[in-house]
Amino acid sequence: MLNTAGLSLDQAPPIRVPFSFFLAAPFFVFLAGALLLWQGESALLTRWSPSALALTHLIALGFLTQVMLGALFQMLPVLIGARVPGANWIAPLVQGCLILGTLALAVGLQWGGAVWLSLGGGALAIGLAAFMGAAGIALVHGRGALRTLQAMRLALFGLLMTLLLGVWLVAGLVGVPVDGLTAWVDLHLGWALLGWVGMLILGVGYQVVPMFHVTPAYPAWLARPAAWVILSGLLLATAATLMGWGGLAVWGFGSAVGVLAVFALVTLDRQRQRERPRIDVTLLYWWSAMLSALLAAVVWLSGGRAELVGVLVLIGVGLGLPSGMLFKIMPFLSWFHLQHRQVAARRFDVRLPHMQAFIPERWARVQFGLHLSALLALTLATTWPETVWLTPLGALMMMSAAALLSWLQLGCYRRHLQIGRRFLTSCAR
Amino acid sequence: MSPETDATLELDVRRLEPPEPLERILDTLADMPRDARLRVVHRREPFPLYDLLRRLGYQWHTEGADEYFEILIWS
Repeated sequence: MLNTAGLSLDQAPPIRVPFSFFLAAPFFVFLAGALLLWQGESALLTRWSPSALALTHLIALGFLTQVMLGALFQMLPVLIGARVPGANWIAPLVQGCLILGTLALAVGLQWGGAVWLSLGGGALAIGLAAFMGAAGIALVHGRGALRTLQAMRLALFGLLMTLLLGVWLVAGLVGVPVDGLTAWVDLHLGWALLGWVGMLILGVGYQVVPMFHVTPAYPAWLARPAAWVILSGLLLATAATLMGWGGLAVWGFGSAVGVLAVFALVTLDRQRQRERPRIDVTLLYWWSAMLSALLAAVVWLSGGRAELVGVLVLIGVGLGLPSGMLFKIMPFLSWFHLQHRQVAARRFDVRLPHMQAFIPERWARVQFGLHLSALLALTLATTWPETVWLTPLGALMMMSAAALLSWLQLGCYRRHLQIGRRFLTSCAR
Repeated sequence: MSPETDATLELDVRRLEPPEPLERILDTLADMPRDARLRVVHRREPFPLYDLLRRLGYQWHTEGADEYFEILIWS
C-alpha cells in the first residue's frame, strides 16, 4: 500500500537546470565534427590517434554525459519519486566542471601537455564526484520502479569506475609509471560503454520505452538479471586485468556485450508491439541506436575493426539515443512546468499548447536524417579508409545535425518562455 | 480515508502516452462534481500528479505495484 506526500516542483530544479545541460550539449558535437573535418580520415585510422581520443571524449562527455546528467537532475523525481538534493546549486558546479574538464581533456589528448590533461582530469573528477554524491542520495531514497533503480544505481557505480580508471590513465599520460597501459584503456572503455552508458540505457529504457511508446513492459527474465550480469562481467574483466589475464577479461566484456545485445533485440520487439502505429522521430532514433548496438556487438564478437565498433557505439548509440530522447524530454518538461505554473496560479485562461507544438516533428525528422547520414558516412569511412571523401562528408553531416538540433532546442525554450510571459501578463490583469 | 459516496468515476489511462494521462485526469477532475470520487487506473505511479492534486485541494490514495496502479482521488 502506498500513500505519498508527492513532489513539489517548487523545490525541484527550475527548468533552466536541465535545459542548461541540454542546450550546451550540441556545441560539443559541433566541435567534434569540426575536429574530424580538420583531421580528415587519419582520425579514424586507429583508435590510438590523438584525434580519435579527443573525439571520443568530446562526444562521450560533452554530449552524452552532459545530456544524461541534465535529464537525471529533473527526471529522477518523475521516474523514482526522489529529488536530487541541492540540485539548484550543485547542477551549475557539475556543469561548469564537466564543460571545463571535457575541453581541457580534449586539448590535452589532441596536442599533449600535462597541464591540460591534469586540468581536465581534475575538473571532471570534481564535477562527476559532486553529481554522484547528489544523485546517489536520491537513488538511495528512491522507491518504486525497482529494475530502473537497480540499473541506475549500478550505472552510477559504472561512472565511478570509469572516472577512477580515467584519472589513473591521465596519471599514466603525465608521467606516473603505469604498466600495461592498453589493458587499462580497454578496462576504462569497458566500464564507460558497458557500465555507465549501457546500464543507464537499461535503466532509462525500462521506463521510457513502455511509457512514451505504450509498449508492453520489459520481460522479467531480462530485467531481473541484466544489470547484475553486466556488473559481474565487468568485475571479472577488472580482476582479470589486475592479474594480467587478457583472455579472461575478454570473456567478462563479452558477457556484458551479450546482455546489451539481447536488450537491444527485446527493445525492438517491444516497440514492434506498441499501441499506436505512429512512427515519431524518437522511435527512429531508438531503432537506429539499437541496430547500431547490435551491429557493433557482431563486429566486436567477430574480431572486426575497433574503429568501426567505436563509430557505431559512439555515433549510433552515444549520439543517437540522447538526441532522440531530447525530442521527447524537452517538450515534456516545457509542457509540464507550464502546466504546474498554470495550476499554481490558477490562471486557466492561458491555453497551453500541445506537447508536440514545442518542437516541429517535420524539422526533427530532417535532423534525424542528417544524423543518419553522418552515421552511415562515418561507418563506411571506417570500413573503407581509402575512400578519403567519406570522413569530411560525415563530419559536415554531424556538424549540420548538431546545428539543427541546437536550433530546435532554442525554439522549444523560446516557446516555453513566451507562454510563461503570457502567464505573467494574465496574472497582472 | 475518503468519504463514503456512491459517485465514483473510472478513468483508465494505461494506454495513453505522456502527457495525456495527466491531461485527462485534470480535465476529468475539472468537470467532476465536488462530492464525487475519481478512480484512475495507471501503469505507473504518477509522481508528478500528486503536487498538482494538492495545489488543487484534492486528496488521493494510491495502491498497486509494477505495471498496475489505482489512484483514488477525492476533494
